Amino acid sequence: MAGTSMVADSSSWSTALIKISPYTFSAIGIAIAIGVSVLGAAWGIYITGSSLIGAAIKAPRITSKNLISVIFCEAVAIYGVIVAIILQTKLESVPSAQIYAPESLRAGYAIFASGIIVGFANLVCGLCVGIIGSSCALSDAQNSSLFVKILVIEIFGSALGLFGVIVGIIMSAQATWPAKSV
Amino acid sequence: MGFIGPLGPLSSKSRPTPPLLISQQKPDVQIREIKNCLEPKQLSESSTRFPFPPILRSKRQRFRSTMASTFSGDETAPFFGFLGAAAALVFSCMGAAYGTAKSGVGVASMGVMRPELVMKSIVPVVMAGVLGIYGLIIAVIISTGINPKAKSYYLFDGYAHLSSGLACGLAGLSAGMAIGIVGDAGVRANAQQPKLFVGMILILIFAEALALYGLIVGIILSSRAGQSRAE
Repeated sequence: MAGTSMVADSSSWSTALIKISPYTFSAIGIAIAIGVSVLGAAWGIYITGSSLIGAAIKAPRITSKNLISVIFCEAVAIYGVIVAIILQTKLESVPSAQIYAPESLRAGYAIFASGIIVGFANLVCGLCVGIIGSSCALSDAQNSSLFVKILVIEIFGSALGLFGVIVGIIMSAQATWPAKSV
Repeated sequence: MGFIGPLGPLSSKSRPTPPLLISQQKPDVQIREIKNCLEPKQLSESSTRFPFPPILRSKRQRFRSTMASTFSGDETAPFFGFLGAAAALVFSCMGAAYGTAKSGVGVASMGVMRPELVMKSIVPVVMAGVLGIYGLIIAVIISTGINPKAKSYYLFDGYAHLSSGLACGLAGLSAGMAIGIVGDAGVRANAQQPKLFVGMILILIFAEALALYGLIVGIILSSRAGQSRAE
């Protein structure tokens, strides 16, 4: 059946996608995994850090305790690094006749989607943890019993990055390239 | 003939003569060209003979013919499927992050005045976190459903998974925005008027239901994958 279907039957999306190398998709996915995660971590760190420093003017005791908010944001970047390294180990070379085989295409799409998942989940996680961390510092400066309670909210926020890593790793197991022909 | 252009002097030998217009050609050529335009072109005998399509010459032509004749569109189906899983998780996480951050700021601001109410006011944060779990569920369902080695993965399945992921993800994003704003206003109001706690919970439940609708529709859609052909 597949031999008789013509290009005109398929959508233009498919016709365009099938001409893009799976290595393009893989490379962009890996780059997004690390780049956008680090963007989220940096965004969170500057939101938390600026509030922390400002609040510590009148209450210098809060600095050492509230660094944990900064560390939660940094963990988001570490998730991105870990997944990017895992994804790049999934890259394999295939013979040039197989580059556009369906299995190769699928492996490229899997790495791309995995990178997007991890990158953008870590982006929003870093933002969330940064905003909560800034509120944590500000309320801790006024009432030191609030630190642990607001930290609980921050832990809910950092779980989002973990969801991204879990799904990203599950999906990267789908990135199986065709075996080299003997 | 003595013309010097930007590329240097050109002789008549190196410069190709442009093709003549029909009006500049001889009458019998004119008649033939006009007939070609007016009559439908008949297929010459060679192109209808076996083998059809005609035998291709270069490797590039052969490769392109192979791609054209065996391409059915199903090779790109995993792209849409994986993108559906990505959409489910990413948009749900965006909603969960917004809900957590917005209501968390409200809790922290409120806690300065009433520290004893903070633990009770974490409810909006927990409800926002659940949105991330909805996205995780759909993303894992979709991701494990893409298995071309066990079962053929057609374009129908790819689109079904894409729609499932988008349904759950965008619903989670909207619900997260609602939970965030309501939670923020609710905890601040609850600190000033304790009777408002039940009202805040009721509104949050309605907002959470939106994400639940998205999850239900997402599960129904992703169960349609694999049902495009009877086999």
